[in-house]
Amino acid sequence: MNKEMIRLSHISKKFGDDLVLKDINVCLQRGEILSFLGPSGAGKTTTIKIITGQLRQTSGEAWILGQDAGSMNEMIYERLGLVTDNSGIYEYLTVYQNLKYFARILKVPEARIREVLEQVGLAEHQKKSAGKLSRGQKQRLVLARAVLHKPEVLFLDEPTSGLDPSTALEIHKMLHQLKEEGMAIFLTTHNMEEAAKMSDHVALLNEGVIVEYGTPEELCLKYNKTKRFRVRLAGGREELLTQSLETAKQIAEWMARDQIETLHSCEPTLERVFLEVTGRELA
Amino acid sequence: MKTIHWNKVFAITATKTSAFFGKNCIIMPIFAVGFTLLMRFLYAYVIGDEVGVPGFSNGYALGMGLVMNICMTGIYCPALLLAEEKEKNTLRALMTSSVNSLEFFLGSVIPVFLAAVILNFLLIPISGYSMPASVLPIFALVNILCALISCVIGMLLGIFAKNQVTAGTLLSPVMMIFMLIPMFSMMIEVLEKISEFVFTGVMMDLVIGLAMGQGVSLSGLQLAVMAAELILAVILFMAVYKKNGFEKD
Repeated sequence: MNKEMIRLSHISKKFGDDLVLKDINVCLQRGEILSFLGPSGAGKTTTIKIITGQLRQTSGEAWILGQDAGSMNEMIYERLGLVTDNSGIYEYLTVYQNLKYFARILKVPEARIREVLEQVGLAEHQKKSAGKLSRGQKQRLVLARAVLHKPEVLFLDEPTSGLDPSTALEIHKMLHQLKEEGMAIFLTTHNMEEAAKMSDHVALLNEGVIVEYGTPEELCLKYNKTKRFRVRLAGGREELLTQSLETAKQIAEWMARDQIETLHSCEPTLERVFLEVTGRELA
Repeated sequence: MKTIHWNKVFAITATKTSAFFGKNCIIMPIFAVGFTLLMRFLYAYVIGDEVGVPGFSNGYALGMGLVMNICMTGIYCPALLLAEEKEKNTLRALMTSSVNSLEFFLGSVIPVFLAAVILNFLLIPISGYSMPASVLPIFALVNILCALISCVIGMLLGIFAKNQVTAGTLLSPVMMIFMLIPMFSMMIEVLEKISEFVFTGVMMDLVIGLAMGQGVSLSGLQLAVMAAELILAVILFMAVYKKNGFEKD
């Protein structure tokens, strides 16, 4: 069942004379992951702050869980989870005490703490002082805290930035599971692989403007103007072929002779799409 | 008026109590105790029975210790704890976890307020002063009011502090005013006059009056000073909070 969790309608934001968001329009449904993909300074964090009521937009409307983001009270946060780059943890408390603190605030049973610790792989570190955790472990603790109360909408601002690949993979797995359970996830990232892998919809954000919007596949196919195929043949020879009748015949012939070892289409990545649309790179 | 969810207030109070017992904060009440003990023995040696009122030196030491505790624990600790929350980015985590500003304020102030009030009572035996039981209700009233004013001032200053280092810088001049004016009021005539209009001075005057054998009395002016400074501190806090929230960007 589709249920609208977030709607941004013609959102603009100015800091002084600097227009950092221009006419942003998106919506996020239940059980969906929407990614804002863009380089640093594109306006991703500002968007999260507007939706979560931490910042007022200059114009337009922001709705979250059916409430106007500008006039909601703090109780809405019982239905939201936030992971941002500067989400702090209490370093003098243990991992378990950190979660217990927020469990008391959010009236979450203690059994849920153990469940979440298992999910983020911190169960064996629960008695460790949070100040002694590695960066990846701290990030997992922040994520554990954000999902402790099973929020309806989860905001993730660069959740895997600076993490090692295995930790990032664990976090991706967890997010997929949460999505399957019906959580709506608003993700901001400048990591195109993460966006392509995780998202149901992607908004490419450049200098405060959504320059493209769609599913990752849609975007990649839309900009796949010259269809090409990379073929690796027996013996190690590689060929890059452009789609044509001749190419089709050639591939058919190689297939008939069992000469093809690998065959890949060469549609652009999201990073290439971003480069083509904006003329600049993501990083 | 914001709704108060006491589960949130108590959760914050519990965590703030842990933080209060951390090395940065707990040193303040310990310092007040040490200072009182030092003054007790120093004044016993320096003043002795010179004033002619038995126990005066202990009463004077108590007055000094109380002022020290009100400033070091009551003002310094709430400001430092608030600054620490900002420095470690935990304040924003709390505020985006359904905690409202009033709940945060209460949860932050309660442990420090209680610590300041309780320690002020404990300083009586520590100073060696024998306070008559009949005086205790008035002492308790002044004690509670002073602790409350100091905590509100501490929270107010904490709003301006981005981190623990700037908290120290901001607090120093304010603590000098509230601490040194009453402490030197018996030595410098101008300060004696000013001290009458400072809440810590009211506490000092009350205890010195007792120690001098003048009995316990709380004048209308003294009550008015404390009431006015409490109201002023609350109004200032609310005005600054309304403008900046707990974080002044």
